Amino acid sequence: MPRIFIFVGLILLLCLLLPPAIIARVRSTPNSNLPIHIIQDMAFQSKYKTQAVNPLFADHNTMRPPVINAVARGETYLDAHLYDGVIDGQWANVLPSQIKMDFATLRRGQERFNIYCSVCHGISGGGNGIVNQRAMELVANTNGPVNGTVWVQAKNLVHDELVTVQPMGQLFNTITYGIRNMAGYGSQIPTEDRWAIAAYVKALQRSQNALPSDVPAGTKVSGNAGPTPTHVQLSNATVNSFTNPATSIAEVK
Amino acid sequence: MSRFLFPRWSNAFLPLVILLGAIAPLYVGLFVAYGFSPKTLEAGYMPTQPVSYSHAIHAGKLGIDCRYCHTSVEKASFAAVPATQTCMNCHTQIHRESPLLEKVRSSYETGMPIEWIKVHKLADYAYFNHSAHVVRGVGCVECHGRVDQMTVVYRVAPLSMGWCLECHRNPTNRIRPPSMVTQMAWDQNKEMTEAQRVELQNLNNIHPNDNCSTCHR
Repeated sequence: MPRIFIFVGLILLLCLLLPPAIIARVRSTPNSNLPIHIIQDMAFQSKYKTQAVNPLFADHNTMRPPVINAVARGETYLDAHLYDGVIDGQWANVLPSQIKMDFATLRRGQERFNIYCSVCHGISGGGNGIVNQRAMELVANTNGPVNGTVWVQAKNLVHDELVTVQPMGQLFNTITYGIRNMAGYGSQIPTEDRWAIAAYVKALQRSQNALPSDVPAGTKVSGNAGPTPTHVQLSNATVNSFTNPATSIAEVK
Repeated sequence: MSRFLFPRWSNAFLPLVILLGAIAPLYVGLFVAYGFSPKTLEAGYMPTQPVSYSHAIHAGKLGIDCRYCHTSVEKASFAAVPATQTCMNCHTQIHRESPLLEKVRSSYETGMPIEWIKVHKLADYAYFNHSAHVVRGVGCVECHGRVDQMTVVYRVAPLSMGWCLECHRNPTNRIRPPSMVTQMAWDQNKEMTEAQRVELQNLNNIHPNDNCSTCHR
């Protein structure tokens, strides 16, 4: 057999290896090529989905903001207690009637606090959350603050008198509208959850300032709390002290 | 005129042709199965976003919870891409002069949204609901992979119907306690025993549907 046949045959066989190699590479490396949708059917319909870009509007937003001065059902914002934490011009120190003070609310508050607040204020409320640490690091950089970072130490929610004396309504108001360098979280956290957080901050303050006398008689307490807790335990005792708001606030102060 | 005769050596081609004929369907079959599968064509999409936001820093290194930004994920069908305000909660102060944040700052000033590119795009006839999954304990990581380790987010899953059904038909190993949904490093298959996972499935009453109308309306 002439050599050329063997040679060409081998080359053709090697070429057969090429497609699998290309497929293997495509499957293993992410890249910016658009996904290929072979059978289109109705996969791409001429409709606008949530948060899609829409060239018809000046701001390219498919989702339109409400017309100015429009009021949604149930969102009249006339209830100053519920929406601003104020009763008769004074900071409210009880939860609004729409929200029940119970274990579920505090648990919810704990979860939401850990998501939204702990990044700066820390899991235990001491003011040394991970973003706070990072910002302090950037400010303390030897060649000056990185990218013009400015930062004021996040408030210690559980030991700073400025915060601990605040009634629940004032805490709620701060969460909603922000204060000093802290942005308001009214748009990120629903009203009920903001109240739950405010209640939980009160519980945190209570637990972080606990006295030996708070420990029920006969309970053994180990000497050292150890490193900063990553998860604050909610005890039934803490919750019970809040189930009657009239007495609990005084107790907390 | 002399007749053309194949040379004797051409006889060697016969077994070769038979062999190729036998392998060819297998080769083509595998080529189509792997080359045209959604895992090849659709997964791995990693677009360059308008702002070089790194999930690896924010969700990984800093450990910010997914829900800090994607606030609607537990209540709505979509996990909202955050408003520019959310970026500026911190970036009015941290890295406030960084050139990388130029587009974020101008969006904040002009009110024009940043036009992020959608990475996980479903076919328009499929209706996926984030809240239904997240609330029942399907972790973010099950579909999105280790986003907390991605500097640039890319699509890990093929998001094809077969891939959805895989889990809808056998969810036991893909669900976790709802309190752990955003913990990307946490793996229910390591932290829980088989029996515990079955118990969790029964406890949370997870019996996903595989009717057409579950996803196609």
